[in-house]
Amino acid sequence: MSDYQEYLLEREKIDHWLDKGYMITDVTENLSGAELTLKKPENDLEKLLIKTADGRKYFSNLLFQKKEELESR
Amino acid sequence: MADLRSNLAGIQSPNPFWLASAPPTNSGYQVQRAFEAGWGGAVWKTLGDPILNVSSRFAAVSFNGQRVAGFNNIELITDRPLEVNLKEIYETKKMYPDHAIIASLMVEPKQEKWHEIVKRVEEVGVDGLELNFGCPHGMAERGMGSASGQVPELVEKQTFWAKEAAETPVIVKLTPNITDITATAEAAVRGGADAVSMINTINSLAGVDIDTWNTIPHVGGKGAHGGYCGPAVKPIALNMVGECARSPRINVPISGIGGISNWQNAVEFMLMGASNVQICTAAMHHGFRIVEDMIDGLNNYLDEKEIPSVQELVGKSVPKYSDWGNLDLNYKIVARINNDVCINCNKCHIACEDTSHQCIDMLKDGQGNPILKVREEDCVGCNLCSIVCPVEGAIDMVELESEHPPMTWNDRQAVLGLVQEKKGNLTP
Repeated sequence: MSDYQEYLLEREKIDHWLDKGYMITDVTENLSGAELTLKKPENDLEKLLIKTADGRKYFSNLLFQKKEELESR
Repeated sequence: MADLRSNLAGIQSPNPFWLASAPPTNSGYQVQRAFEAGWGGAVWKTLGDPILNVSSRFAAVSFNGQRVAGFNNIELITDRPLEVNLKEIYETKKMYPDHAIIASLMVEPKQEKWHEIVKRVEEVGVDGLELNFGCPHGMAERGMGSASGQVPELVEKQTFWAKEAAETPVIVKLTPNITDITATAEAAVRGGADAVSMINTINSLAGVDIDTWNTIPHVGGKGAHGGYCGPAVKPIALNMVGECARSPRINVPISGIGGISNWQNAVEFMLMGASNVQICTAAMHHGFRIVEDMIDGLNNYLDEKEIPSVQELVGKSVPKYSDWGNLDLNYKIVARINNDVCINCNKCHIACEDTSHQCIDMLKDGQGNPILKVREEDCVGCNLCSIVCPVEGAIDMVELESEHPPMTWNDRQAVLGLVQEKKGNLTP
């Protein structure tokens, strides 16, 4: 599988949990990539290991955009 | 016709092209010939206690048919008595009052030595002084040149001593043989320098003769490291000029030196913050008259861009030069191969397949002819294919629109920090 295909799968997983109302509450970066902790009130934690560079860029962009939105309010 | 007059810390010259302190500025005869050819200024070959030289002295590195891609020398400062040099400086300045003559100086790191030489040199009417804290060979073994230029405290102290006695502007010439040139540039500013110049030559050994096992050059079978210059060092010099130009703590003009071979190179250095340029290797390779092309080329460039004065170029690219952490992670370019221009040599495919990201496919078109095609989704925009491509216009690097606004690494790290802090309140 190409890096791009792997990225698309990772992006799909991130979007899946965010669409369900989960929030990224923690990002731990390590030698394998970035481990995302996603949480929804009254639900269990979900963990995602995002390995690809584009995948790590993708969730960073989502967080960055959110921050920009909050700051512009 | 554009105004090419240049001003470096108050030193005026009819154009920004100066000969650097080196063999081409060894004597009045040479500097007068240079001014006759059109050079705007000359930094006289370094004055100090006259030295003894060895033979041989120079070596060049040729690469794939390009003669003098790099140049190495083990020649020291002037070997002529100070009086002889001063007499010729006086005569030359009298003959060419509008051209800049700067005396390059190197003495032991002692206050009285600096005071003595500064006073004697200024008496003959030089327009400025350049303190040679850069030569990496020979003199460095005696505690001068780059040996003192690598120690910020010595740069500051010696600049201060020279300034104590000087009435003309003092330029401090810096060595590149140091990890961070801004450290010594800042020291020069603290010492009172009116300008800095960079770069002096880089420690080098041009080669080893694989038959005789002698170094190149060698002196009777023995070699020593020299100073490297010429086109090969230009990227190193340009970065160092840019690093100093963008530092808020280095607020003095810069004279750019290092591999400048034509007017385009000079423009690059000026855009990156140099107020003028100094040139040596190109003159040694092609003679003084290369300055004619430099003047014509610079003039035409300015006229075409409707820029009235060369001074308006200075520093225009500096705001575009930053740290890696400030680059946009979302900016995206990809390679596109123009199959009507491509000669199917496959160099791009091999380079990408072997050493980059394996995104150039060898395919057949509708008629069964071989074609190359980039899988854009896998292309990281590294430029390698277009760099190795031998045919102009066969590969374009094109910008793709990003689905996200610009975000730098520093932006990203800041937002990840906030996530830790707010535990979810920031999340999409």
